[in-house]
Amino acid sequence: MSTEDPSSRPRRSAPVVLLVVTVLCVLLLASATHPGANQVPAEGADDGMTVLRSAAEAEGETHYAAVRRVTGPDGRPASLRVANHPDRGIVFAPVASEDEPFVVEASQALESLDDRLLEMLRDTYRVVDAGRTEIDGRPARLVEAVRADGTVAGRFWVDTGSGLLVGRTAYGRDGGAALSMNLTDLEMVEGEWPERASTGQPWGEALDAREREDLRSEGWELREHLTWDLRLVDARSTRYEGRKVVHAVYSDGLAQISLFLQRGKLGTDHSSIPSGGYVGTEQGGTGISPGHDTLFGDDVGQYRTMWQADGFVFTVLADAPADLATSAVTALPSPEGPGFWDRVERGLDRMGPL
Amino acid sequence: MSSEHLGERLSALVDGELGPDEHERALIHLAKCEPCRFEADMTRRLKRRLHGLDEPEPDLDFMGRLSALDGRSERDGQSPFPPPFGDGGFGAGPPLGSSRPLGGFPGYPGGLGGGPIAADVPGTAPPAPGGPQPTAEEPGERSRSEFLAQLLTPFPGGRYAIAGAAVVTALLGTAFVAGGEAEDTPVVEPRLADFAVEHAVTSRHAPVGAPPADQETRPAGGAEQTSR
Repeated sequence: MSTEDPSSRPRRSAPVVLLVVTVLCVLLLASATHPGANQVPAEGADDGMTVLRSAAEAEGETHYAAVRRVTGPDGRPASLRVANHPDRGIVFAPVASEDEPFVVEASQALESLDDRLLEMLRDTYRVVDAGRTEIDGRPARLVEAVRADGTVAGRFWVDTGSGLLVGRTAYGRDGGAALSMNLTDLEMVEGEWPERASTGQPWGEALDAREREDLRSEGWELREHLTWDLRLVDARSTRYEGRKVVHAVYSDGLAQISLFLQRGKLGTDHSSIPSGGYVGTEQGGTGISPGHDTLFGDDVGQYRTMWQADGFVFTVLADAPADLATSAVTALPSPEGPGFWDRVERGLDRMGPL
Repeated sequence: MSSEHLGERLSALVDGELGPDEHERALIHLAKCEPCRFEADMTRRLKRRLHGLDEPEPDLDFMGRLSALDGRSERDGQSPFPPPFGDGGFGAGPPLGSSRPLGGFPGYPGGLGGGPIAADVPGTAPPAPGGPQPTAEEPGERSRSEFLAQLLTPFPGGRYAIAGAAVVTALLGTAFVAGGEAEDTPVVEPRLADFAVEHAVTSRHAPVGAPPADQETRPAGGAEQTSR
């Protein structure tokens, strides 16, 4: 028979309880440090914005011809000959090829889009004038876009002589260069305007705030923000075979992500593997999985993927670092699976709170 | 009296409710009157048969619920419901079937199907004269009721679990139906080449991949937008 005083048991277990409470408090504090704590706009003086606005104005006033070199995450550059005609547009022609050039015609829509992209850059990052530097042997001014945690998200090189933007690089979260563009062989001449070319202008039907709200009420996933740093900067629509297609442009000021929305579903014989030499962003990625495991990208840092969800077909094209493109895609409704539970989950989503 | 039949006094005679004189006169009349003697005989048989019947038994499910109420009342000290049979508790009131029918009278609000539950209990229906001897309960029905009672009695929340399972099943079924694709959902094939051009325009890049098949090639410099 025990002679232990029963009332002493709680006192003996008190240290254990205290230990458990302490561990729980530590866990609570640890979880309070959210991994996305740095996912906030960077504060500080944006003294580099003046330099970038001047470069944008110079782009709209200066005739020039150059070779644009675009480099993706694998470091292999792809070159295009460019000719800027401020009043008519910009011509992209393949280097050492007789292929037809592509012309982006000048438009008020593109000018206003440039303004919004600069505003987005200022809102998301701290835009710092990093001083004088050189690029390809030419004196330039370096402007850096800095994240809230102090890491560099992008760099801009503005030619001191012409005031033109001659280089820009977007960096991923890992610090690696994800997408670079720079102009070489820059000449301040009026370049050749092609006799025949494929042309492009933004889709004509811009969607204002009220129209976007109407579309949202009809079920279109036309969000104003995809993530904290990806804001809607442009929305347009056109029609294919009488059916509306919406093009939403999201940007953090450095990268652009295009989301194309169509009401409908993909055909059963739809090929999910894009053509054009795209490879998966992940090692060994050979096809688009039912989820977002693989996002296809090419060797110049452009990514694309498509899927269907909630009665819509989503197509994403991105000139962005892989992590930013991935965050944009995963912010959208997940691809629908064909299984029983996928259908039940879809039904619960449609039913909403009961 | 010999020229008249006994009439209502016959049942009083059978029930032993007549006085000594009346009883004597009734017996003398029966000795002389064949119809009254026959009727008295039938009345006695009927009385014996009624006495031989079992008392009506309440439904086991109903008894189980009553027992649960009684048990909860004992645990909680007080019942959230008024005593079902008055302040005296179960068993202290009049026998079942002698008062207002369970479930209410037909046509009353709250009545179950407009008929008293007691009418559904086997063995409570009055026997028809000369009819077959009623049975208290069919053996198969009794075994099912006992099985359910034994199954649910150990788990006070058993009925709630069954109800919850039914609700979940209904919810899943509804969600499955709601999650189906609408028949009028069109099949679309994204025009990737056109999308690439549109994306290239807004991002000021050359489109990646082959030029769109339906993209019209025309002299550059026109302000007219390419038709799509």
